[in-house]
Amino acid sequence: MENLEKEQIVQDLLPQEFGKQGKIWVACLIALCVIGFIAYCHQLSKGLVVTAMRDYASWGIYISNFVFFVAISLVGSLITAVLRLTDVHWSTPLTRIAEIIAVSAITFASIIIVVDMGRPDRFYNLFLHGRLQSPIVWDVIVITTYFFISILLLYFPLLPDLKIMLKYKDRTSKWMYKLYSFLGSFWKDKPEQFKITDKAINILSITIIPVAFSIHTVTSWLFATTYRPGWDSTNFGAYFISGAFLVGSGGVLVAMYVFRSHYNLKKYITYDHFDKMGKVVVMLALLYLYFNVNEFLVPAFKMKKPEEEHLRGLFTGEFAPIFWFAITTSMLLPILILVTKKGRRPFPAFIAGILVVIGSWFKRYIIVTPTLLHPFLPMRDVPASYHHYFPTWEEWAICIGSLAGALLVITFFARIFPIIPIHETITETEEHEHDKK
Amino acid sequence: MNTIKNKYIGVILLSFFSIVSFAQDAKNDLMLSMGYYNNNNLTQYLVAHAKTKIDGKFQMVPDVTVKFYINNDSAATNLLGTAITNDKGDAVLMMPPSAKAEWMKSAKHTFAIVSTASKLYDEAKATVDVSKAKLKIDTTDDKKLIVTLLELKDTAWVPVKAVDLKVAIKRLDGDLNVNETATYTTDSTGTITAEFKRDSLPGDKEGNLTLIAKVEDNDIYGNLTAERVVKWGSKFQYVSQFDRRTLFARRGHSPWWLELLAYAIVVSVWAVLIYLIGQIRKIKQLGV
Repeated sequence: MENLEKEQIVQDLLPQEFGKQGKIWVACLIALCVIGFIAYCHQLSKGLVVTAMRDYASWGIYISNFVFFVAISLVGSLITAVLRLTDVHWSTPLTRIAEIIAVSAITFASIIIVVDMGRPDRFYNLFLHGRLQSPIVWDVIVITTYFFISILLLYFPLLPDLKIMLKYKDRTSKWMYKLYSFLGSFWKDKPEQFKITDKAINILSITIIPVAFSIHTVTSWLFATTYRPGWDSTNFGAYFISGAFLVGSGGVLVAMYVFRSHYNLKKYITYDHFDKMGKVVVMLALLYLYFNVNEFLVPAFKMKKPEEEHLRGLFTGEFAPIFWFAITTSMLLPILILVTKKGRRPFPAFIAGILVVIGSWFKRYIIVTPTLLHPFLPMRDVPASYHHYFPTWEEWAICIGSLAGALLVITFFARIFPIIPIHETITETEEHEHDKK
Repeated sequence: MNTIKNKYIGVILLSFFSIVSFAQDAKNDLMLSMGYYNNNNLTQYLVAHAKTKIDGKFQMVPDVTVKFYINNDSAATNLLGTAITNDKGDAVLMMPPSAKAEWMKSAKHTFAIVSTASKLYDEAKATVDVSKAKLKIDTTDDKKLIVTLLELKDTAWVPVKAVDLKVAIKRLDGDLNVNETATYTTDSTGTITAEFKRDSLPGDKEGNLTLIAKVEDNDIYGNLTAERVVKWGSKFQYVSQFDRRTLFARRGHSPWWLELLAYAIVVSVWAVLIYLIGQIRKIKQLGV
């Protein structure tokens, strides 16, 4: 990082008002959310019959979307916790980006699962009659826990920044000032306060890792504990976690590029960050590719009769275009792009990140739906249309609306709070300068 | 030229209508058969079965209306009732009380079934002759079954020899032979003796087992059964699994190890979170 003055850092990193592009972006996201909400109201009034989900494909793109959100949320634990605990400092400017991605994704994961229930008013039954033996109950527990840890992990490092923002009253609106005062007016930069905060962040960094692993392992168990072709695997927890870290890192690459360009943060999110993050993505893509080989090659080698239809559907059948698209875009192309130094420049890395995120969404679709269409015991006397699944406009609208909602949360957060930690950046710059002397 | 063309059109139309009319007239043969059943000398009923041959394969015919008669296949007074065949081609008619007078007239009867003609099938008929007979089960203290087949001759029940019958124990999904012998043949006294070799077979809570003797598809007597309850089974003590703590149990009955593990994890993680929220309070106090 260049030798930057403290004041310059603050000025650069304070939240900025939306420009013209920002307003268009927010308007588009709000429009998508509204369309999604209208579709959901339609689903609420007519019931889940408006979806394409039937007796065979009882989980459609809602659950694919849920798994995607849970997966991308894991990046919070990777960037904030794993890299912090291993004393990796280059990730400091990325921690808040990763945490807000985690918080928004986990929020919409919870929302989308309620959407999939059809009758949200029956959600309380899960608490009244839920069984501790059920992975669904574990999922609710770990998602709630992970959400709170992520919020705390976002809040504690924000405290010193709140004090800085309170100093710049002229740069903030009235309600934002009130919000900053409510959240952090008590922060006085006292050494005792820093001591407590550092300790809390360390505790949270340690706590979030097993919880993050649990959240996605439990999500994988929702599938793996069901005896079906494609899901009947002992490998599912590790397979899901490796995929989750990959999509989360891809998401961070995209967010890094967008914030860097839009907020002019080139001094803070440098080529070096893209280079290092690109290497992380390559490593995770290779790891996920390895698990994919395990998941598909071993059953395909044995080709047990009940698995055959499912696997042939993926490799050469109905789902082959999506399957190969997902494998290519989420793993192969990003590896090819990011494995070279030129590929780890901001723009190519951004493209690779986009590919990872889009491919990973379709990968979740491939995990959920084809298996449901090929059960071990075929159902009798069901209409022929039940053997296929293609989402209705309501499902698309709700899913796209939820993705837009998650982006909207990130956008508003970046508008209200500094997306790169100001205080930590100043401290690290000062330490850097001190080391130089 | 036009005349020739018109002739061709006429021939084509004629051929078409002849095919259509042939297709409309073509009916498959409906084959009816019937069985007489007397369960435990209490319940008597008749089962009609309708089938047809399509593309060289027998197929069951549902929705065929079948009339059941006793001793005459047309008189309204001899009509026992009407039934419609189900998906398996079977139509069942319980013997009505109104048939008692006709039943008591003779020791032998002829039952007839007649299906009414429909668009698909012509009228079909079938008959079966039945001699009145009954089975009787006796048991001895040394767990032997003595089964006797008796036939009504005029007014007296006489033993019947050389008839195959089976002796079994009634179970939930079928009958279990009392020993390795599947079928017995009655001797000159109309009886068979079978040894009960199913010791320790679970019965009800009193140890009751239901023995059953069966004559199946006999040309003269039809299908007969007789039952007798004996205390030869082991007493079955039902132990409810409902309250057992298992992974598949209901809410609040999960295994102890799971409860301990799950709650320990949840409590410890949330204790940390609550502690950290307490730390926020502490930071606040330091800033006042």
